[in-house]
Amino acid sequence: MNPAPALSPTMTSYAARAVDVDKSYGTGQTAVRALTSVSVDLARGEFTAIMGPSGSGKSTLMHCLAGLDSVTAGSVWIGEVELRGLSDKKMTALRRDRIGFVFQSFNLIPTLTAYENITLPMAIAGRRPDAAWLDTVIDTLGLRDRLTHRPSELSGGQQQRVAVGRALASKPEIIFGDEPTGNLDSRTSGEVMGILRESVDRLGQTVVIVTHDARAASYADRVLFLADGGIVDELRDPTADAVLDRMKGLER
Amino acid sequence: MNRAVTTASPSRGSADGNPMRKVAVRNLAAHKVRLVLTLVSVILGSAFVAGSFIFTDTLKSSFNSIFSTAYKGVDAQVSARHSYQPGVPADLVRTIQAVPGVQTVEPQVRGQIVLVDSKGKKVDSGGAPSDGSAWTPANQTIGEVPTFASGRAPLVAGEVAVNSGAATKAHLHVGDHVKIVLPNAAVADKTVSGIYKVKTDTGGFVGVKFTPAEARRLLTDGTHVSAIDVAATPGISEATITARIAHVLPSDLHAETGTKVRSDATQGITNALSFVNYILFAFGAIALIVGTFIIYNTFSMIVAQRLRELALLRAVGADRRQVRRSVVLEAGVVGLIGSVLGLAGGVGLAFGLHALLDALDIGLPAGSMVVSTRTVVVAVGVGTLVTLLSAYAPARRAGRIPPVAAMREEHAAPTTKALRRRSIAGVAVAAAGVAATVGGFSSSSAGSAAALTGLGLFAMAAGALLLSPLFARWVIDPLGRIVGRPFGSVGQLARTNAVRNTRRTAATAFALTLGMLLVSGIAVLGSTAKKSIGHLFDNNVTADYVVTTESDLEVPWPAAQAVAHVDGVASATQLQSFVAKVGSDAVDGSAASGPLSAVLKTDFVHGGGTPTGNNILIAKYWADDKHLSVGDPVTLSVPGLGSRTLRVSGIYKESRLLGPWVVSTDVYRALTPRNEWADDVVLVKAAPGTDLTALGKRLEAATNDYYVVNVDTREQFKGTIASQINGLLGLLYGLLGLSIVIAILGILNTLALSVVERRREIGTLRAIGMQRKQVRRTIYLESALIAVFGAGLGLLLGLTYGSLFTHALRDQGLDQLSVPWTQAVLFLVLAAVVGVLAALWPGIRAARTPPLEAIANG
Repeated sequence: MNPAPALSPTMTSYAARAVDVDKSYGTGQTAVRALTSVSVDLARGEFTAIMGPSGSGKSTLMHCLAGLDSVTAGSVWIGEVELRGLSDKKMTALRRDRIGFVFQSFNLIPTLTAYENITLPMAIAGRRPDAAWLDTVIDTLGLRDRLTHRPSELSGGQQQRVAVGRALASKPEIIFGDEPTGNLDSRTSGEVMGILRESVDRLGQTVVIVTHDARAASYADRVLFLADGGIVDELRDPTADAVLDRMKGLER
Repeated sequence: MNRAVTTASPSRGSADGNPMRKVAVRNLAAHKVRLVLTLVSVILGSAFVAGSFIFTDTLKSSFNSIFSTAYKGVDAQVSARHSYQPGVPADLVRTIQAVPGVQTVEPQVRGQIVLVDSKGKKVDSGGAPSDGSAWTPANQTIGEVPTFASGRAPLVAGEVAVNSGAATKAHLHVGDHVKIVLPNAAVADKTVSGIYKVKTDTGGFVGVKFTPAEARRLLTDGTHVSAIDVAATPGISEATITARIAHVLPSDLHAETGTKVRSDATQGITNALSFVNYILFAFGAIALIVGTFIIYNTFSMIVAQRLRELALLRAVGADRRQVRRSVVLEAGVVGLIGSVLGLAGGVGLAFGLHALLDALDIGLPAGSMVVSTRTVVVAVGVGTLVTLLSAYAPARRAGRIPPVAAMREEHAAPTTKALRRRSIAGVAVAAAGVAATVGGFSSSSAGSAAALTGLGLFAMAAGALLLSPLFARWVIDPLGRIVGRPFGSVGQLARTNAVRNTRRTAATAFALTLGMLLVSGIAVLGSTAKKSIGHLFDNNVTADYVVTTESDLEVPWPAAQAVAHVDGVASATQLQSFVAKVGSDAVDGSAASGPLSAVLKTDFVHGGGTPTGNNILIAKYWADDKHLSVGDPVTLSVPGLGSRTLRVSGIYKESRLLGPWVVSTDVYRALTPRNEWADDVVLVKAAPGTDLTALGKRLEAATNDYYVVNVDTREQFKGTIASQINGLLGLLYGLLGLSIVIAILGILNTLALSVVERRREIGTLRAIGMQRKQVRRTIYLESALIAVFGAGLGLLLGLTYGSLFTHALRDQGLDQLSVPWTQAVLFLVLAAVVGVLAALWPGIRAARTPPLEAIANG
């Protein structure tokens, strides 16, 4: 079920990693600790779902792992690069070249076509997309006949597929999804999760999503459960029912 | 978001208790930064309106007090009916003295002079008078006798008293030797006997007092005085004494009451300065028109951003009218605050303008600022009203938001149907504009041609405004593709953002369109005027040197004589202008001595000859108008001096340099009081083989003693005229620069709001790897595209209509069309720079958007 991609000798075995990460907002008396001493390794070619009740710190963890937010203490790695101390410029380049994002509300650029949205990270970097890879991605997503459409002319599911395409197109080290099915109905949710699953299985991609949808989480290889800013549980090869049971336990 | 609703206080009836009012007021507070720019545009507009009122009112009141002092105690004044008359016969003094009720009679002797200080430097009065007049002893004076700061009154010929303002400026002291330049006499050497003080001492005013006898000798023709002032014995009213005096006067003189004289004098000066007022007013109007777009855009965007909040208000029970009124109220508060601040700004503007003109030695009197009720009402009223009107459409849109929009994620894009209606209206208006323009182009009368062209311009500008959302797409898209190509995806994003909301882009760009329309239109007129004058001069003047003066004083009579005697001068032709009556009309004409054909090209259609003896040469159009042909008699007369009957010897093709008729200088002298004899210009033709540079030096040496005289080569003379036009253009450009400033504010405003609107999008771009630098560039480029679009549209209209206006005015001297292409390109580049400048702050703000904004809700 988990065909690990062949690793080159210089490559780390994990795509992203957090070591003893603390994250607090504010200072002094009013400080809120969102993450407390969190350590996690996200292995290459694995599909991880992060779950937890509201306020558990699951989104914060993802933001820190993805270089969207800074940590208060501890260290975060993307591949062999430590994020702490990176300049905004280097951090931005890292996000552009090595990380893919899928957002809850799709976040496509409304003035660009589907194709232009998919190739945007490479266009920003001033690189030509790998044509063969792009074809593979577009066909996997089933967007061939939608490429010249603008986001406003696409359905929600199609928009999210374009967003997944944008994340996949630059062959990032890791793709982060922030509630990728949050704005979709159950059928299109399944489609999008299926595509992410396929990208892991067939294309060897590493994917991490934050979700509160047990069915979405069941597509993952591994589910991490967070509560009160710490990892409290983990489930391998989950089913939706097993995930729901654990969640109920956490929310009690 | 809904705190305004949930925290509505329970108190009822009072202003604070109205929840909708509360929403409006709290929104103002919440959107402070956004509204600052809107405020600025309201402030600028009303500041210029208020400033123009305050400036004029202040001047009027200052001059009023000056003339009240100057004419203090004057109950009646006797003067000539027309300016071309020689003045009032001096022997009338006795007749007037005999009128019952007359207490004091004071003849006024006054004439233009130039004062030269002890170091040989002219004392420049700027725009204020530079007068010579007679010193009147206290017992013969009606008003206040000036007091002396030092020295005493002039007692013997050769002594003069100088006003303290001029004395301070020229560092003159009692006993200093000065020179006085007079038009008809040689330069006179005088000694300063005293420095006197008067309350009427305005900015640059130069007043030189001679002894009465000398004043009469230098400033009059011996038989006339400028005017006669009269004071009545106590108990006799102004009107009575004036009527009694009028009774004894010949028909070409009249008597006016002191009150009328004072108010006419004030009015005369105020009229002379009214151009400043018109310019200020025009700028107030431009600022407000341009401001309209900014205000409209701001409120549209604020409404769009508050969509969900407004829908929520609707959902919880506010009706359409309440929502609309809350937006209108918001606009009203902005308008009121803006125009009150603008009023304050207007005071500052009037003050600054006064200080500026003072620094330029224009010679304005000092006086306290006059802020009338009318100023306050108009400035605040107009500012508020314009803001309310501009915000009305967005307010209506706000009222139409359905409650269900509170639940929707995104607002539907504006309908294309409305845009189609707008475009159809635009085409109709533009077509009317084209029709008016074509009418104007083919019209033969300058007046109706200019009026129709103006109407055409107005309609075309309105049409362009209506159509500009369409144009924006058509122009910015291809332009953005070309300009944006080297910038890759940054260029693409900039281009697509610029045409994303074409209405908004159009409204933003139109501020620049208006400014550029005016600037480029004026540039065409200025450039055409320069070329036309150069052409006129080249084609009609064959003189090698042109002798003129740089002051109001004309070329002194002896200077022309001196020029004629310079070695190497073949001929020196003196040209004078004067007014005489032909039949019952007063006509401006000219006179010449010396050979005309040597220095001026004159094409005769009938006859010929030179203006000597009893000859009169007349222009073709005037001959046609008066039904005159060669050999016919023409009688010129000047009341008080006599008349001459002349014979038409030649009819020439219209000449702008000569006017309708030319007579000999002898005729001019016969019909002009001796003290006014002077030349407009002396045209010098060099003898064959003369070294022109050396001749120029000799001419300058010969006229050096006259201080006011300039000797120019042909090219220098054209340069002088061109620089005068350039000076005027510079002033206009400077003022039009203001409309560009407002346009920058408009672009800045739109971009700042767009950046807020696109926060999530920009956050996404940052999250997926767009560098800050790239975000900034995207905004700069978008702004430059909008600016160049607006400027290009304005340039197109401005150049076209500038050219069309010169066509309409071709008979008024603008016959050599010249389109300043280099300047036009410069303007476009400038527009792009302006665009980038306007985008600096929004760009930096956009670049600071944290990538987490991509995920933030809202």
